[in-house]
Amino acid sequence: MKASTRRNLGLAVIPLLIATMFLQAAIDPSVREINKGQKTAFQGLSGEFVLGPLLGLQQAVAGLLWVRADEFFHSGDYDAILPIVRMVTWLDPHQLDVYITGAWHLAYNFTDSSERSDRRYIPASQRLLEEGDANNPEIYDIAFELGWQNSDKIKDFARAEYWYRKASTRHGADERGQAKAPVPMFVWHQLAHSLARLGRLEESVDIWKKALAMSEDFVKKNPTDFSRRNVRGSEVHNLELTQKRIFSRYKHELDWEVDAKVGKGVNRETGEPLSRDTFVFVTGSEVSQKQSAYAKAGLSAPAMAVGAPRPPAIEPTWNTAFDARPLFTAPKVLEVKGRFNVGDGARVTVRLHDDSYRTAQLKEFTFDINQDQTLMLDQHSVRAGTFGRKIDMSKDPKMYSFKSNIYYLVFEFNPRATSPFIQDRFGWSGEGMADPKYLWTDSSLQPEVRWIRKVYRITREQVFGGSIPESAVVSNEEYARVMAEPGPAK
Amino acid sequence: MVTLAIAKQTLEDMLRRKILLVLLIIAVGMIALGPSVGFLSPRESSAVLRSLGLAVILLAGLLITILSGIQVIPTEIERRTIYTVLSKPVQRYEFVLGKFLGGIFTVFVMIAAMGLVFLLVLAWQEKRFDPEMLKGVVLTFFQMTLLGALAIFFSTFATPVVNFFLSFGLFIVGNLSSVTDSLISNKNPATRIMASAVHYIIPNFGNFNLQNKLIHPSVEISNANVFIVQNIVYAVIYSAVLLLLAILVFDKREV
Repeated sequence: MKASTRRNLGLAVIPLLIATMFLQAAIDPSVREINKGQKTAFQGLSGEFVLGPLLGLQQAVAGLLWVRADEFFHSGDYDAILPIVRMVTWLDPHQLDVYITGAWHLAYNFTDSSERSDRRYIPASQRLLEEGDANNPEIYDIAFELGWQNSDKIKDFARAEYWYRKASTRHGADERGQAKAPVPMFVWHQLAHSLARLGRLEESVDIWKKALAMSEDFVKKNPTDFSRRNVRGSEVHNLELTQKRIFSRYKHELDWEVDAKVGKGVNRETGEPLSRDTFVFVTGSEVSQKQSAYAKAGLSAPAMAVGAPRPPAIEPTWNTAFDARPLFTAPKVLEVKGRFNVGDGARVTVRLHDDSYRTAQLKEFTFDINQDQTLMLDQHSVRAGTFGRKIDMSKDPKMYSFKSNIYYLVFEFNPRATSPFIQDRFGWSGEGMADPKYLWTDSSLQPEVRWIRKVYRITREQVFGGSIPESAVVSNEEYARVMAEPGPAK
Repeated sequence: MVTLAIAKQTLEDMLRRKILLVLLIIAVGMIALGPSVGFLSPRESSAVLRSLGLAVILLAGLLITILSGIQVIPTEIERRTIYTVLSKPVQRYEFVLGKFLGGIFTVFVMIAAMGLVFLLVLAWQEKRFDPEMLKGVVLTFFQMTLLGALAIFFSTFATPVVNFFLSFGLFIVGNLSSVTDSLISNKNPATRIMASAVHYIIPNFGNFNLQNKLIHPSVEISNANVFIVQNIVYAVIYSAVLLLLAILVFDKREV
């Protein structure tokens, strides 16, 4: 080859290389769009799984890792699953089940030796789901899971409503992963339930009506879809039950046994049962019983007679006569005895936490929780007007390190989180509850909610074995004020 | 014409190699078995099948390209057949281009066979033909074209073993485009310069990975067709650069 040809060929390389650089700059935005949500290949990966992603096989490696996680799940090795969850969601941020299962492990499966959840992981669980939702903004699944976790585990019904509402605006993924199908009806059902839990009853009824209209329309077009017919049946049941409960609790109390026998439904506009038999006084003794209940509560009774509608179920208010007495019988062993005049099946929440504990607001997902923090939450069922049991925290020093000097020990009852048959007496927001000592109204929520809550401020010495005097009780207002303050910087 | 004659002879020679045929049979078998592993992720069996198919095509294509690319020129030198060729009116650049084209035809035949089986299996499984997946197969071919040019370039001066590690190593580095792209905005100026150099100078194999979009149709990119054309042009221009360099090196080499 001639020297001049060689030189010309050499020179031709330069503009061509420059052209590739410009092309690269033009390609980069599209590559970023394709890899949106994916972390770079090196982050957090163990050696054995590095090669695949480097060859551009993220999704295939993610699939294999998830199979491995499934093996750990069946062997009960939950600790091993979480790092894999993290890797899979980095490699392939569109595997919805991985986010959902990982978040479930975090929120539910880390427990102490008595099966009490380690609630310090809940913010991490929520953050993982939020990350998954951001990476899959068209699809309802993860938003729904956030709603469910807030409703079932955290009992934050406002957050639950927020996420269910978001989920209801999304789509379901078809078999190819494309967001096309309408969201399943259970998303609407849960939205209605969460609104009822918030005491926003008209909105809840509206959602049930909307869901029912959607199902009616669907069944008209698909008359042989028996599955959807069943869904429609459950919507009719829930709509009518919600309306009956509103009627019973706030207008005229229903006799549920009679209602079960008569069962003629309700007027869907007013909520009034179609049979008057369900909500009128039948005998004189019923009338006098109710009159004496008013007298016992120190209230003047309204005019009542046989054949006339009963007053609302939340009237007269019911004295819950709540009290709880804690005692550390041994270091980190708490024994609780309490009384609560609500009826069997209600549950009292017992919570013990550092004075500086605040629910973490994570901007980035992390498994690293503050191991020095102590947070214990237990639920005690009420039986024959009493509750209580022994809570042994001495066996789980990793969960209950007790590094702080001051703790809050809280006993509380949230009427919005309790069973419907308990709410039938108190209303959704505790309107029918009375208590001479521990009734507290939370006006930060609208409609406001009436809690039963008793709070002790105790010391580390008391946790390690000592009686807790009643002088350690602090007011609900003070506890609410302290918890509203930001926690100390970490 | 000379170039095409050499390419044809190289293709025939390659297709006679048992190792490449064994690789092809294994890959086709794995793709055909794809539907049977869909149970691993019940809700996303389609995603498993797609990711497995594309992964097998990529891995098999990678091995076929490197194994053929690193050997074409050194084998001719080792067997001394190159003397016979170059003693005829054949220019050295024609020899290099012919070897490259022969290798690329081989890769094309192999990827086309795997791609065809993959598309048929997918169509059978999903009860419809998805032309989108063809884009993934096409991009994999152009990714391999670029890798083939790189291997040919190294084969003009390196032994097959050294060439294997150089080509494979640069393929891995070139797949780190998302890492280097994120490092370009790093606060440290030295890191920025290094990342920019790697990102813009080394062949960027990560560009061709369209799998995330193909496996998850919900992933949107502004203009997928422009993106594919850009990548094809990138592969062609960069391959031309590497072939020019290969011609220049081989022209000076004593054989």
